[in-house]
Amino acid sequence: MVVETPETTPAKTAVLGRWIAGFWISFLSIVFGLIVWEIAARYFIDPFFLPPVSAIVAGAIELIERGLLFQHIAISLFRILTGFILGSLVAIPLGLIIGSYMPVRQIFDPYIHFLRFIPALALTTLFLVWFGVGEVSKILLVMYSTGFIVVINTATGVVTTHKNKKLAAETLGASTWQIFWFVTVPAAVPSMYVGMRLALAGSFLVIVAVEMLAAESGLGYLIWTSKLYFRIDWMFVGIFLLGFFGLLTDYAWKMLGRHWLRRYVRETANY
Amino acid sequence: MTIEMTKVSFAYHGGTSGLPVLADVDLTVPDGEFLILLGPSGCGKSTLLKLIAGFDKPTTGEVKVAGKTVTGPGKDRGMVFQDLDSALFQWLTVRGNVEFGLRMNKVSDADRKRQADEALRMVNLSGHVDKLPDELSGGMKQRVQIARMLAMRPEIMLMDEPFAALDAQTRQMLQTQLVTIWSEVKRTAIYVTHDIREALNLGQRVLLMSAGPRAGIKHEYEVPLAYPRDQTDPTYIDLLDKLSKDIEEEVTKVWS
Repeated sequence: MVVETPETTPAKTAVLGRWIAGFWISFLSIVFGLIVWEIAARYFIDPFFLPPVSAIVAGAIELIERGLLFQHIAISLFRILTGFILGSLVAIPLGLIIGSYMPVRQIFDPYIHFLRFIPALALTTLFLVWFGVGEVSKILLVMYSTGFIVVINTATGVVTTHKNKKLAAETLGASTWQIFWFVTVPAAVPSMYVGMRLALAGSFLVIVAVEMLAAESGLGYLIWTSKLYFRIDWMFVGIFLLGFFGLLTDYAWKMLGRHWLRRYVRETANY
Repeated sequence: MTIEMTKVSFAYHGGTSGLPVLADVDLTVPDGEFLILLGPSGCGKSTLLKLIAGFDKPTTGEVKVAGKTVTGPGKDRGMVFQDLDSALFQWLTVRGNVEFGLRMNKVSDADRKRQADEALRMVNLSGHVDKLPDELSGGMKQRVQIARMLAMRPEIMLMDEPFAALDAQTRQMLQTQLVTIWSEVKRTAIYVTHDIREALNLGQRVLLMSAGPRAGIKHEYEVPLAYPRDQTDPTYIDLLDKLSKDIEEEVTKVWS
């Protein structure tokens, strides 16, 4: 007989306890790192090259007061997320088809494996000429970099689906289409999930570079123009925010995997 | 349903790469029989099973089920795979796995539930329907595979060393359970194993296969004993002895 486990058990409390302990260790590690930085920047290093934490905070407050900071954050995140989502929407169906249907794979493979070695950066200027200096070219560049990572991971997920699963489905009377929808697609979810996570990180790299080259807003622009005013503290504000929002979006993605897609992605979301 | 194989040979890649795995196999399995394919590893017993399942096609010869030539897998032939994980759908619960075939075939909700419940009862998994495969022991995973097959009520049950990866106690328990299930559903069962005792605990007839390449059926043994098999019965011991010697000859062939 199965004994129902009550909601709160000593085991659950222990898990929570370990999590809180882990959180405090990480928190103290951050505080310690900031203190070391502050002391080093104040007493040992020329603050022009490495401003102390306190100066960076002051710089951030100044930027907020000028009313620019949130605008830079918002526009960068908008470009990253739009490009990431649209890129994935194109790449997932394409990856599924490429992975499951040989002729399509043979059509697309030469383009994919050639183009994926050309970084979005190399295409930035070209895209500006083609699609203008507005948002379209920037979003397309993020889509471009996202697309290849997601296509390749999705297709890999499809081709590595264990043969036994498909054979089992066949003996259970599933049609080719049913096998595709109810076996191949769910079996490929972990690869899609990992691919999208990598692509999300890649989107940050691309958008910053693009904003440095050709934009009048965004965190990349902020970092680039800080140089013109000799405001190394503002540069650090931009750098810090990139890391912070990267971490945040990655964490959100991880939580999505752990809670909503748990049964599909399983241990893939553990790190 | 009767299974008939005539002059069946099988070689990988249509015989372009080396000797055939199986050569000139003739086999008839009457409806309702519990048949064992026994042999050392690499003798082609799994290959023979895959030909019946329709996963592979014979290079020469013909496999017929109920008079019709096998051209591919079909729901009249269920399969239990040796591997514990690769054949289950990890994203579905135990119930989801067992109901999979019924859903694919658009069986009505009421029938689906009834057939799944019945299958789950037969393998003693009624208390674990909401678990995911990751949360199950090896023995339970294999029982999910068996239930998934039973739910479809196939005419022929094909099993490829389903208990080989399990510990001895679990294996013995499942053997007993499998015999009970087989006598309840009264369908043909073909079971591949390399374990002589397992063969004698389960089968009505044991086909000993010769070592490959060009493997075939070496000898045939009837097991004229009632279930559950009494391992101290003189006939059992006698068969165990004969089969051990017979199989040893084949293993020696491979090693020397």
